[in-house]
Amino acid sequence: MMARKLLYSTLAVAPLLLLTASPGLAHEQTGVSGGLANGLLHPLTGLDHLVAMVAVGIWGAQLGGVAIWVLPIVFPLVMAFGAVLGILKIGLPVPELVIALSGLILGLAVALRVRVPFAAAAAIVAVFAIFHGHAHGVELPTAANPLAYGCGFVVATGLLHACGITIGALARWPVGERVIQGVGAAIAALGGYFLVASLGAAA
Amino acid sequence: MSARLRTAALTALVLLAQSQIADAHIVNARLGDFYAGALHPLLTLQDMLVLVALGVLAGSLGAASGRWLVVVFPLGLCAGLGLAVAASIAPVPPVVDAATILLLGLLLAASLRIPVALLCAIAFALGMMRGAANAGELVPQTDRLLYAAGLACAGYVTITLVMAVALTFRRPDTEPVSSWRGIALRAIGGWVAAVGLMMAGLSFAT
Repeated sequence: MMARKLLYSTLAVAPLLLLTASPGLAHEQTGVSGGLANGLLHPLTGLDHLVAMVAVGIWGAQLGGVAIWVLPIVFPLVMAFGAVLGILKIGLPVPELVIALSGLILGLAVALRVRVPFAAAAAIVAVFAIFHGHAHGVELPTAANPLAYGCGFVVATGLLHACGITIGALARWPVGERVIQGVGAAIAALGGYFLVASLGAAA
Repeated sequence: MSARLRTAALTALVLLAQSQIADAHIVNARLGDFYAGALHPLLTLQDMLVLVALGVLAGSLGAASGRWLVVVFPLGLCAGLGLAVAASIAPVPPVVDAATILLLGLLLAASLRIPVALLCAIAFALGMMRGAANAGELVPQTDRLLYAAGLACAGYVTITLVMAVALTFRRPDTEPVSSWRGIALRAIGGWVAAVGLMMAGLSFAT
């Protein structure tokens, strides 16, 4: 008897609960916030992107002079050019390999304090920027909100550069220089790992 | 307690637990269209991007140049809205929208000394474009005067606040553009231009 009453009560409440149910938004992110979150997280959740962008900032700070202010202003534009290639589905050769190589080369440049003419450094960084931008751009058209996604990944990349430049500022102290070289070596090691992994995947 | 009473109590409890905030009165009353006009640009990323970029550009040029925009930009918004309503002009295509964002970003990144008249012309044109874009939300029942007033207020407040923040950040004016504050503002220009370039690419892709 008691069980039947309970069943009736449940049956009476169930339709009300169904009618007042809200949409489930647990998985797919939607709208501006979803696009922004995806864009912000894309460079941060890919370790190969993250370390390369930080290395660009540190190397810019090490090179000093023009590099330290050209980098944050021009890099986003070059990266956006790569993103446009990705948006238009124009393929680049071995993108994963080049992105992994960027971590290795930029990490080594930081660790070994490589000093090259500004034009050469700009050319190296520009090539890598195009490949990194391409990887982000490929996902832009399918983002919840492409404009928000674009804003998100540009801001995240810019902040990673700022993080690298800040690390580069440690060079004012002798110990800081050692720390920077250690960070560079770690980035190079990660780049090497990603390079071997992408070569293994390609083989 | 009878079964019916228990069911009623349980139902009431469930409904109470699912209740949401009541926001029925202010927005839907007399000034609803004012709020609609004010909120629409503030909730549209495209509008906000243009407003912020223009505000930072004006702020980076100094108070003497930038203060004109406090008047010119809201007037442009109203003119664009009025033109779109009167002449049924469609909003500009996405590629033009993207190109304006790219241009604004490049102007900021390049740190050019833009003459006041040119800055005002750019602000008025951008205001007209955004005003026309916001006309898409108008329905026959909308009070257009209130909507335009809301839109102009939102434009005025946003551009003034952003410009003030940029001016405060940029000070002193005598600092060279290569100071870290100047570089930070120019970096924002680089970011805005990058977003504009990608949106232009996207408009060609779709």
